[in-house]
Amino acid sequence: MTQRIASDLVANVALVHVRVGSSVQAGDEVALLESMKMEIPVVAEEPGTVTDVRVTPGDVVQEGDVLVVID
Amino acid sequence: MPARMPSSASQAASAAAGPKVGREDDPRRPLLRLATFLDDGSLRLLTPQDSSGVLAAQGTVRGVPVVAFASDATVQGGAMGVEGCSVILTAYEKALADRVPVVGLWHSGGARLAEGVVSLHAVGEVFAVMTRASGVIPQVSVVLGAAAGGAAYGPALTDIVILGPDGRIFVTGPDVVRSVTGENVDALRLGGPEPHGRRSGVVHVITETTEEAYQRAQLVCALFGAQGELDVSAVRDRDLIALFPESPKRAYDVHPVVGAILDEGETLELHPKWAPSITTTLGRFGGRTVGVVANNPMRLGGCLDSSSAEKAARFVRMCDAFGVPLLVVVDVPGYLPGVGQEWDGVVRRGAKLLHAFAEATVPRVTLVTRKAYGGAYIAMNSRSLGATRVFAWPGAQVAVMGAVAAVRILHRRRLAEVEEDDRTRVENELAQEHEELSGGLPRAVEIGVVDEIIAPERTRSALATALAQAPRRRGQHNNIPL
Repeated sequence: MTQRIASDLVANVALVHVRVGSSVQAGDEVALLESMKMEIPVVAEEPGTVTDVRVTPGDVVQEGDVLVVID
Repeated sequence: MPARMPSSASQAASAAAGPKVGREDDPRRPLLRLATFLDDGSLRLLTPQDSSGVLAAQGTVRGVPVVAFASDATVQGGAMGVEGCSVILTAYEKALADRVPVVGLWHSGGARLAEGVVSLHAVGEVFAVMTRASGVIPQVSVVLGAAAGGAAYGPALTDIVILGPDGRIFVTGPDVVRSVTGENVDALRLGGPEPHGRRSGVVHVITETTEEAYQRAQLVCALFGAQGELDVSAVRDRDLIALFPESPKRAYDVHPVVGAILDEGETLELHPKWAPSITTTLGRFGGRTVGVVANNPMRLGGCLDSSSAEKAARFVRMCDAFGVPLLVVVDVPGYLPGVGQEWDGVVRRGAKLLHAFAEATVPRVTLVTRKAYGGAYIAMNSRSLGATRVFAWPGAQVAVMGAVAAVRILHRRRLAEVEEDDRTRVENELAQEHEELSGGLPRAVEIGVVDEIIAPERTRSALATALAQAPRRRGQHNNIPL
């Protein structure tokens, strides 16, 4: 199943922990967002392999923007 | 209400084939479902087994007296006609007379097509009795199969809706959607666990098995029907601080915190995937049933938004209506800003939470763990809204906003004149000055909006004492599905 991990809110991308080909487990942090003066981890809901990384640190993302795609 | 309430294609097919008698091994038989749900040997039928489409019984779950009714999906797809609706009215009259929880086991295509408007009238009478019972007796719905049209609004009017793996809830089924709008969508996508668990907020609890759906409903009956007494001496303190990250900016999952505050044993989180920046959980504390409302910084940084405010508001009103005390665990950076939220009605829906806490008369104790800012500070059961008691951990921030953000507004012109390289230093200086002036936590205690600063390691005993000392009250209002 393809998981498109999207941002829940407008945020700055602080860190991206994965790249294409990385394998992730459920609950792994794939990126760190900054918003509302908070550091908010973005985690994978299911295990899989990263097939696309659409952001880099410093990007501003909108609500619903896809950050990482996992297959 | 849509015109096409009788919506299930299977209903039409079943009606054409005439009433069917359920086979002995048909798992949809209402008697079997009621017997499975109720404690062994406790079932007493309130209505005869016939072709009405609904069967009602009284009995116990975990020893707690309840009334339950079940759709008969073996007859016309469980469709509700005059007779079936009158069975539900009988169940409600009994539950209201006995002041016990009422549980509906739903599997129904809605109002009976063949009976015409008279069946719509009967379904409307069911809605009316549900509304009359609202806030008086706990109402629980377990949706085991398709629940369409009137059978969707029935559960939706109740306090807690539990969706089993085969449960589907929609106003109009896939066939009608296709014939009317041309939209091609299956029942799962229209009204299964994903849409109702994450998007619509219709369903409070989703389960992977039918057995688990029954168990969750039994737990609800036990929590509301046998609330227990708070035994302060049974509440042991626990090290809660270990559950928090070192950096105050870092988000964390609040679920383990809620779990550590509540007694060990069964808890029931409502709406876990819908509006996840706030959590609403029923459980026991010192043996007594309580409701916990907690911001979850892991989602949206813990911000309140339009749906999380609405979710919490409904939970608070439900607990108040049934005399269940509230614990409110606060770590909130504010209301989520932005055009999406404004257009989504964050002002209107956020107002529901203010209203819910302000009207609540049950004991309700607040704990600020890390921060409470701005409008969200007020909304999270603040002193001004009538909190029984407000505790804060040392170092908690209680303010209109973070100090740096505040000085950026208060000293906008002055900061604009400062050289770019020097701005951060000046901002920090101003922020420190601002914190000294506004007074931070000591000032919050001085003016009485925080009653006491407590050590994290004595949180549970402090919460227990505060709840136990508060007068026992119960809200005199219904629980409209906000």
